[in-house]
Amino acid sequence: MLRNMFKKTYTKLEPERKSPEEGRQPEIPEGLWRKCNKCRKPIYVDDVKQNFYVCPKCGGYFRVHAYRRIEMVIDEGTFEEWDKEMPFANPLNFPGYEKKTAAVKEKTNLSEAIVTGKGKINGLDTVIGVCDSRFFMSSMGSIVGEKITRAVERATEQKLSVILFACSGGARMQEGMVSLMQMAKTSAAIKKHHEAGLLYITYLTDPTTGGVTASFGMLGDVILAEPGALIGFAGPRVIEQTIRQKLPEGFQRAEFLLEHGFIDKIVERKDCKSTLAKILLLHNPEAAMAADAEKKAEASDRKETVSVMAEEVSGKRGKEEKSSRRKRRKDAEADFTGFEKTEEGKKPASAWDCVLLSRRNDRPTARDYIQSLFDEFMEFHGDRYFGDDGAIVGGVALFHGIPVTVIGQQKGRNTKENLKTNFGMPSPEGYRKALRLMRQAEKFGRPIICFVDTPGAFCGMEAEERGQGEAIARNLFEMSDMKVPILSVVIGEGGSGGALAMAMANEVWMLENSIYSILSPEGFASILWKDSTKAPDAAKVMKITAKDLKKLGIIEEIIPEEEPAVLENLETLTGIMSEKLTGFLDSMKTMSGEEIAEARYQRFRKIGA
Amino acid sequence: MFSKILVANRGEIAVRIIRACREMGIQTVAVYSEADKDALHAMLADEAVCIGPAASSGSYLNMEQILSATVITKADAIHPGFGFLSENSRFAKLCEQCNITFIGPSGDIIDRMGNKSEARKTMMEAGVPVVPGTKEPVFTAEEGLSFAKEIGFPVMIKASSGGGGKGMRVAANEEEFLAHFQSAQLESVKSFSDDAMYIEKYVNHPKHVEFQILADKHGNVVHIGERDCSIQRRHQKVLEESPCVAIDENLRRKMGETAVRAAKAVGYENAGTIEFLLDADKNFYFMEMNTRIQVEHPVTEMVSGLDLIKEQIRIAAGEPLSVAQDDIHLSGHAIECRINAENPQKHFMPCPGKITNLHLPGGNGVRVDTHIYTDYVVPPYYDSMLLKLIVHGKDRDEAISKMRSALGELIIEGIDTNLAFQYEILNHEVFENGDTNTGFIPDYFPQYGE
Repeated sequence: MLRNMFKKTYTKLEPERKSPEEGRQPEIPEGLWRKCNKCRKPIYVDDVKQNFYVCPKCGGYFRVHAYRRIEMVIDEGTFEEWDKEMPFANPLNFPGYEKKTAAVKEKTNLSEAIVTGKGKINGLDTVIGVCDSRFFMSSMGSIVGEKITRAVERATEQKLSVILFACSGGARMQEGMVSLMQMAKTSAAIKKHHEAGLLYITYLTDPTTGGVTASFGMLGDVILAEPGALIGFAGPRVIEQTIRQKLPEGFQRAEFLLEHGFIDKIVERKDCKSTLAKILLLHNPEAAMAADAEKKAEASDRKETVSVMAEEVSGKRGKEEKSSRRKRRKDAEADFTGFEKTEEGKKPASAWDCVLLSRRNDRPTARDYIQSLFDEFMEFHGDRYFGDDGAIVGGVALFHGIPVTVIGQQKGRNTKENLKTNFGMPSPEGYRKALRLMRQAEKFGRPIICFVDTPGAFCGMEAEERGQGEAIARNLFEMSDMKVPILSVVIGEGGSGGALAMAMANEVWMLENSIYSILSPEGFASILWKDSTKAPDAAKVMKITAKDLKKLGIIEEIIPEEEPAVLENLETLTGIMSEKLTGFLDSMKTMSGEEIAEARYQRFRKIGA
Repeated sequence: MFSKILVANRGEIAVRIIRACREMGIQTVAVYSEADKDALHAMLADEAVCIGPAASSGSYLNMEQILSATVITKADAIHPGFGFLSENSRFAKLCEQCNITFIGPSGDIIDRMGNKSEARKTMMEAGVPVVPGTKEPVFTAEEGLSFAKEIGFPVMIKASSGGGGKGMRVAANEEEFLAHFQSAQLESVKSFSDDAMYIEKYVNHPKHVEFQILADKHGNVVHIGERDCSIQRRHQKVLEESPCVAIDENLRRKMGETAVRAAKAVGYENAGTIEFLLDADKNFYFMEMNTRIQVEHPVTEMVSGLDLIKEQIRIAAGEPLSVAQDDIHLSGHAIECRINAENPQKHFMPCPGKITNLHLPGGNGVRVDTHIYTDYVVPPYYDSMLLKLIVHGKDRDEAISKMRSALGELIIEGIDTNLAFQYEILNHEVFENGDTNTGFIPDYFPQYGE
């Protein structure tokens, strides 16, 4: 080995060599980099700023100062601050509070723990409030409560939306019960804003706890959260001490809340502005229409290249997916026997054919129809009670520039997807999510479009525990007098009450090869004839096809399927649907909310004896 | 002058830099990864600092570790070598912020030359010929076609955001153009979400000729002749020589002056390389500028008698160039073969492992730059280059004979190398005639192409 064998050379030549500039010692300047408090790796301060205060190495989120947050979100030069200086109050005469407040003000250059005001996001006006954790952990004292209340009240007056960036330890201890009352005060102001039909968005950041969660934090029409943010009522330490158990990893984090149905969406900080802008647009019919017109003009400008490219892209994608799709079709055809026999350029006729076709796993799902029919779809999650059901997909989108609420029952194409969507069998939280979104649609005057595709509501212990029957009933009850148009389209299986809970509509349409039934033909055969293999016979007598149901007056329209629906001919189907949908919405335009609700009432009133 | 330099690299170039420092009486600090504790550079330097794990992202690319090591050892300059952080403008700027001299150009110049389209624009403004092409991106096949007709086929269709051959097509005629444009654009849309395309004249089988330049802080810029690096396998240089047989005294002067002009245009400082494409009709086009010392710098040293690393250090310390253009005389012919730990029979798969027996050639006009020694274990984490064998003869024929002889004398046992492949190149008739271009390996060694 050569270690320590080489002779040194440097001392032999010009021993007193010196650095050209004395005192210019190499050193790492203060603040060039810092240790990330999450991954412990050194990170450059500049990088962190460039990266929206997110660690470039581990992706951890740092807390953002209120004014920086406003810079990130509000269009440059449009922010107008409200109530910047408020007289200090010490309602309990808490010793040392004034001195401490003065010190914090001095240190942070903030006048209180929240900054409120008005500004524009991509040109759309909004009221905004941002908590700053450096100020008493952004706890809600009387000034914070007052500033929020005033901002919300002014927003109500000026008919503006409100966006609140929450971040707080909760109530401000030094102000005692006065602080607690701010929860009530802010909530009440938000209720008034709500009653005025205005949009309220909350964006929960790390940490949002205590009285802030339990008041303005959780009241958003749309509740967004930053990844990994701690959100909860009781702090994790308090819970651990109370129950004397260690809390599991990820408990009370944003992802946990999403899973438990309390937030709509986790939004990365870099996407915060664009997401908020999109939500504002979806809630602003004039702006949405204008944006749609602009987009169409732009599209026609570059139509040629785009269409050629789109064609090629879809062609390529088609090729890639074809083999797996072909396999799927093969699998599906294995148990589908009727089609081959009846095929002579003619479509399948028998009810049982429809049953099999409606269940094929290469049939487009709700998501496919949503993507194809609408623009700017933004999905929202959660029922705000228990969970987020993967069997129901819902959100807001634009239909030719008109904001609409779209909700669909979602089936999966493979086992993995089906684990998420539970084979399209919704649980109570799914119906409750749907109802929540419908109520919002009613608040904002948006038409509701539902896509029905379910074998039935989920039969399981958990579903019963949480009131499957109640959830379905509640939807029928609430949907019956909604003051906005509701349209339901059965795209595959319309299985019983689980389907009806999303089909209490002004009109119900069916795809030609879909079915809508009181229960599955297998179930029918087994109840009536004690033999589920007689399902094909059952299908025939049950009158479950689109044609039969139209004759019975259960549905209004049939969307023809030249060929059984698959992804390849989806555009043809949605083309027809789009045209009919325009007609439907036009027909509802002249009607008042009450008339729309009454028409729906009469529609169901006249069915049967 | 610096009293201590930290060498932020490994392998033969780290050894090469440490040697220059030793000759100059400058103390050296080596940095090494956990996998390199027995590496020659770490043992040869006066001090050595372990800067992290084997993966270069944690060690040789870890800027904070290297800067910290520099501060701790009180080194006043960093030589980045090639690869790793050598063309990282961020690193160059950080060095400046930390009062450490980065031996190379400033971060801004690295940025400007690193951005291909900006470099191209700068060169055009300086009157340096570039491959004719669209100045602005084109979006439609029609637009592109009219331009292609203007500059003449064949043309290269390039995605603006392209890289790694993605979104890149050669079109020989109009029909091909229309077909390829669509597919290249589609590829770009899919890979980079960008439909901006560029059209460039396609130079078929050019020679890859690069000019070495040196520029000091006092505005002096000289070129030290060219290197012919046409022998490439999948854009990796295999063998380099100087001078280039296709270049006569006149053309050399013209290209050299152009290179100097290019360097002056960007206010370049330190050693750099201007790469040109040279077509069969002796037209040359600027390709890109390398803002660092290059692997093949020894061939220039052999024909010029200059020590480029020492020049780099002197320039960084603020000293003027040791030579003026008129003092530079190139003599004889030099060839460099890169010997890599890789198996040409197995698609040039890297072959790390223990070197059980090593014999290095020597003698008049033979130079070996390497970091390997008997019982050295070649780690699998880094570039597979083991050794550069450089020869200098009075003319090309002598240099080729010398290289054949030296290759025959070079013995590396225990791991596979590309030595035999180099031998085949040296013995190839086309190479002997000097009639080489970048198509040499794909054309004559198709078995090694893929």
